[in-house]
Amino acid sequence: MKKTTRRTFLAGVAAAVPVAATAAVVPDAAKDNPAFKTCPRATGGKNAHHFPQVLVQDQYKQKAWFYEDLLANKLVMVSFTSVRGEDYYPMLSNLVKARQIVEDRVGKGVHMYTVTTDPYRDTPEDLKALAEKYGAKWRFLTGAPEDIREILASFNARGSLYGLTWIGNERTGRWMKKPSQLQPLFIAEAVGRLSTGKQHKPFLGDMHSV
Amino acid sequence: MAKRRDILKAGAMAVASTPAIFGGVALPRMAQAQLCRPEGNRSPLTEPDSPPVRNYTEPLYIPPAMQPVDPASLTPPPDPNRHQRFDEFLPAKHYVQHFTEGLWNYHPDLSRLNPLNDVFGGFGSIAWMMNGATPGETLVARYGEPVFVRRYNDLPATENAYMPIGLPYASTHLHNAHTASESDGFPMDFMGPGQHWDHHYAMMYARNDPREALASLWYHDHMVDFTATNVYAGLSAMAIFYDDLDTGDENDPNPEALRLPGTYGKYDNYLILHDVRFDQNGNPAYNVFDTDGHLGDLITVNRKVTPYMEVEPRKYRFRILDGGPSRFYELGLSDESEMFVICNDGNLLEEPVGVTSIVLGPANRQDVIIDFSRYRVGDEINMVNIMEQINGQGPTGRRLEGPERMPVMQFRVKPLEGPDNSRIPDFLRALPPVNLDEVVAEREWVFDHDMGLWTINHDFFDPTRIDASVQQGTAEIWTFRNAGSSWAHPVHVHFEEFQVLEWNGRPPTGVLRSRKDVAMLGPNDVCKAFYRFDDFLGRFPIHCHNNVHEDNAMMKRWDIVPNSGGHHGGDSKWRR
Repeated sequence: MKKTTRRTFLAGVAAAVPVAATAAVVPDAAKDNPAFKTCPRATGGKNAHHFPQVLVQDQYKQKAWFYEDLLANKLVMVSFTSVRGEDYYPMLSNLVKARQIVEDRVGKGVHMYTVTTDPYRDTPEDLKALAEKYGAKWRFLTGAPEDIREILASFNARGSLYGLTWIGNERTGRWMKKPSQLQPLFIAEAVGRLSTGKQHKPFLGDMHSV
Repeated sequence: MAKRRDILKAGAMAVASTPAIFGGVALPRMAQAQLCRPEGNRSPLTEPDSPPVRNYTEPLYIPPAMQPVDPASLTPPPDPNRHQRFDEFLPAKHYVQHFTEGLWNYHPDLSRLNPLNDVFGGFGSIAWMMNGATPGETLVARYGEPVFVRRYNDLPATENAYMPIGLPYASTHLHNAHTASESDGFPMDFMGPGQHWDHHYAMMYARNDPREALASLWYHDHMVDFTATNVYAGLSAMAIFYDDLDTGDENDPNPEALRLPGTYGKYDNYLILHDVRFDQNGNPAYNVFDTDGHLGDLITVNRKVTPYMEVEPRKYRFRILDGGPSRFYELGLSDESEMFVICNDGNLLEEPVGVTSIVLGPANRQDVIIDFSRYRVGDEINMVNIMEQINGQGPTGRRLEGPERMPVMQFRVKPLEGPDNSRIPDFLRALPPVNLDEVVAEREWVFDHDMGLWTINHDFFDPTRIDASVQQGTAEIWTFRNAGSSWAHPVHVHFEEFQVLEWNGRPPTGVLRSRKDVAMLGPNDVCKAFYRFDDFLGRFPIHCHNNVHEDNAMMKRWDIVPNSGGHHGGDSKWRR
């Protein structure tokens, strides 16, 4: 099945899939127990089981399965902010610099996403305006609030401000994180360190003592 | 690639059992995979349990001592220009270590599950090892005999590694030897696959004062951002330093010698504790997305799951180390009988302290003497952990009772094989004096949490930033403050041992009246410590030794700088 065809199809039944999936897999013991909440997990990649199987939407209203389409088998940088949060804990101008260093010194093919921590308010249009304000040329993701909450939980993100950028390489299953306000060189360096093959760089600035 | 319908099928087939606790560890794995991580419930109890393992069926692994090599065999030869004061402390012993990936038999009940046995042609769980074992060989050294260790990183590149966690870069720290910065395992001094790094250990007492001797040390990886996972993967081992007082020989004719139970590997043993969680293939499992810490559900001692050790009815010295990454222990014997603590964080106390349990945080060491002569041949005594901990932040404060107590290892008493000439002396080693008139600066280090990461003085780790410049040949008072009310931070400072002046405003007593290198801060604890800085220059870290916190930015760099003479202290605001 071609990816575009499938995505179009999935977008059409977006709302139905997670519900159907949940209904099918709730274990009997958990069914009547309000302590348990269930949601389907992604499959197929190194850390797939860790991520929820949810659909997200970017600032251009392109829909995607969060894990399968955006993370699986990719080198990624995932950050978290919101239109309102950016006023209180700004990070986008720093991440724009980090992305520039990544492109100059590590290479292309690094997928960058910013997930909104405020899915109740932030529409794709809001996120488009936010990205353009800072010249951020990557995908800003929103979605159904309960789905975004699951994404935030999978990154240990709690509260409406979350200052970490997660850098992951799902080809090797390695993840690390850097404060989003850290010197952009160190954020980019983490990307180089997790890259593989010719793009791999142990460091961007040699800090060995001898 | 598994499709969604596969997981739906598997989920539907899974037989549900009654969930034991919130988080459902008793649920079948496939059903559990469908549970959302409960919001607000920060507990690794939601991670799947290890496969079942029988306790006390594997013998304790006793790592052999490192064997010296001919220095002429080293190519390239050691470069004196890479090391401070190399010519003053010319190596008397040379060693070589190779870091490799392979299989380690934590327990046959786990090893037999592993499909990688066929790949490697062996039997075990995936591990990163030093000279083919974890723990690696024990560095048994003597003060006055400088040591040179060349370590080769022969680990595979990340994309070729079977180890699912960690990064195959390494910077080895000998905790907490008085070692020049370039040999100390600073987090940025890492070697990649195919590279090597030379470590020069001067084997000098700090300030040439025998009262500054360390006895029980360990060496482990200190790779920036990957210390917890690399150590968890296997890069940890032990070191023992002897001298004319603590000789390791219980029959030493020298009247000065303490004649503590010896020798290494016989009556003097190191027990390194790591709690590990294993996946269904018997390989170590780890959730890198939990920045609070990692808890294993099985205790390994010298990388064997709940082993047993045969002991004679006589005195033994055990150097017990909490190897982390995040678990705190209160260890006691199953009959709650007495042990004598002789060392805190590797430093001999002035006087032995009789206890029925010892408390250890990550990287804390305590040496205890257990006298098995009170038991009969055939008796079995278990060592158990009674400290409750439900997440990586720190212990709950509750003690485990009865069957809740976690098994650690078992001692089995066998017949005596010879006379026990060892002693528990009334006096061990004098503490060096604390002269507060030498203090030129006071600094405070506040350990807190911010934005999902851990902070010291409100900052995240930045290896280019020097947060304290201490002048060589001066003394300072450092205060460690835990700003958190629900978590614990074992604070570790490299290079120098400290003496506690005050803990929460009170002078130290008992085991705490000692030199130390890890201050185990409980919630809101404040520790005021006396430091002197001498002998070498360079950069060193201060960090939380809950390795998960350390990897999540709870580290700072401080430097020893040449004494400008007359001027004391670093920043003017710290000057007295």
